[in-house]
Amino acid sequence: MENDSQRVTVERDVEVAAPVEHVWERITDSTMVTEWMGGEVDIEPSPGGDITFLPRGGPAVWGTVEEVIVGRRIQWSWRTDDGLPSLIEIELSPGATDGSTRVLVRETLLPWTISGPDGHTEWPMASARTNVQLAA
Amino acid sequence: MTEPHELFSALGDRTRLGVLTALARSGPATATELAATIPVTRQAISKHLAALDAVGLVTRHQEGREVRYQFEADALDTVASWATDTAGTWDRRLDRLRRSLE
Repeated sequence: MENDSQRVTVERDVEVAAPVEHVWERITDSTMVTEWMGGEVDIEPSPGGDITFLPRGGPAVWGTVEEVIVGRRIQWSWRTDDGLPSLIEIELSPGATDGSTRVLVRETLLPWTISGPDGHTEWPMASARTNVQLAA
Repeated sequence: MTEPHELFSALGDRTRLGVLTALARSGPATATELAATIPVTRQAISKHLAALDAVGLVTRHQEGREVRYQFEADALDTVASWATDTAGTWDRRLDRLRRSLE
């Protein structure tokens, strides 16, 4: 866990025995994401797209896809009805062995953007960084 | 129970974090004592202490006409709990993802 004056972040990763393009499909296709997320997911994998998540036994989560670099990275922010807003970043890179992929997930709380200057709560839906790029 | 985002918001100001760090390092202190070591006014220190008190990061102890503030490390358990829960959730998800690709 990183915890400085700006953000609180949890980072986890895993190496999977599959090429990047297969993993990318698994993290951007709603049906496939549903298989591993632990609840039903509906995701539009493009900037400004909606994402909803119905975790088993938990409150619904919804948000907005903010950034997509096809085959490499997807980022969205979401929040629950009564929970915390957070930023999710998933990055793919070649793994240590041929044909494998490293999957990195970073979840960051957004505490400094939910309190507006006048003290009321704001929800930082899609940030200014809403662009799509094709991986080189 | 302080919500994590309230706690993190309270920590999100550099001066306030400095006040908290001073209390954590040097032990309980009054606003006057803190103002002697942190380059802001006593009034500003008092304002930050009130914000920290509101989320349980410090507690107030009346001593005569002065109030002494004490850092409450237990309040940071909220941060640790969020991180532990979140890390565990993603570990399980990534394990399922890995197995789905085998």
